[in-house]
Amino acid sequence: MTRPLKLTGQVLALACVAGLLGLLVWRLTHQQHVPPVGSAAPSFTLDRLGAPGSVSLESLRGRPVVLNFWASWCAPCKTEAAALERAWTRYRGEGVVFLGVDYHDLAPDARRFVAAHALRFQMLQDGSGDVTGRYGITQVPETYIVGRTGRIVAHVAGPITAAGFAAVFQRGLEEAIRS
Amino acid sequence: MIGRLLGVAAAALVLAGPAAACTRPRTSLTYLEGQIMCPTCHTTLDQSDSAAARQIEAYIQKRVAACATAGQIESELVANYGDGILAAPPRKGFDLLAWWLPIAGVLAGAGLLALGVWRWSRRPGDDEPPPPTEPALDDETERRLDDLLARLD
Repeated sequence: MTRPLKLTGQVLALACVAGLLGLLVWRLTHQQHVPPVGSAAPSFTLDRLGAPGSVSLESLRGRPVVLNFWASWCAPCKTEAAALERAWTRYRGEGVVFLGVDYHDLAPDARRFVAAHALRFQMLQDGSGDVTGRYGITQVPETYIVGRTGRIVAHVAGPITAAGFAAVFQRGLEEAIRS
Repeated sequence: MIGRLLGVAAAALVLAGPAAACTRPRTSLTYLEGQIMCPTCHTTLDQSDSAAARQIEAYIQKRVAACATAGQIESELVANYGDGILAAPPRKGFDLLAWWLPIAGVLAGAGLLALGVWRWSRRPGDDEPPPPTEPALDDETERRLDDLLARLD
């Protein structure tokens, strides 16, 4: 084999190895992690469900935010819907913003779900699941409570109506209002 | 009487409408189940029994019954879920790499293999130049040699 050909082969082999290494690093750095309580809430901008326009988390800085991840195909989401609506009715006067993030769902089904449960707080759609992934959501429903400074004050990894989770939700809301 | 008949006919048309909407479906749930991913479990629909997968299957069934093509249904699902809902990446833009890279890899591998086999099959020393031949006889010596051989015959 001539010397330039050999050199080209070696360069190509090295490039392949470097490419595979790059992919590995990218994969490791882009793995989904659950953001811990106390860390900054991952930023996002999502389209509203059944209404024009979008909402960004940054635009709500200075107000406590309840981020509820749900889907119309999720049975526990149906059981917690009424509790969320009641919580919104009770705390909206204190400036708390409730955002429902519809995840991996068909938009028409999601709109029917909102209508069927008479939910009045803002609903956003995350069809691709990008934002949901940044919050490390693996099953719905899950709820994050974000304080006025944009830091996570509570994470409820299940329906807020379930035993144990209701107290976490309540404490988180009160802490977010005080923050 | 005529009014009643018209009413019955109208009701029959309304009832028959959905059934007559698509007499020859242009695709099938079975086909699309292998082309569409379940967004929550990261397998194709035919390998998933999750609630999200069942929701998409119900949607596909409804669209197949409405005579939608596989391409239309896939486009609608991509608009809702993004490209990740397709089991195979789209054949355009950056995603084309996913189609071409394996082919390029196989071709490069085959090329390297052929080169290796060619090198291995050659006898050692094939690259060396042939040994120098004896210098040719001059015309005079050749003529004398021919004469000598002729006499010997």
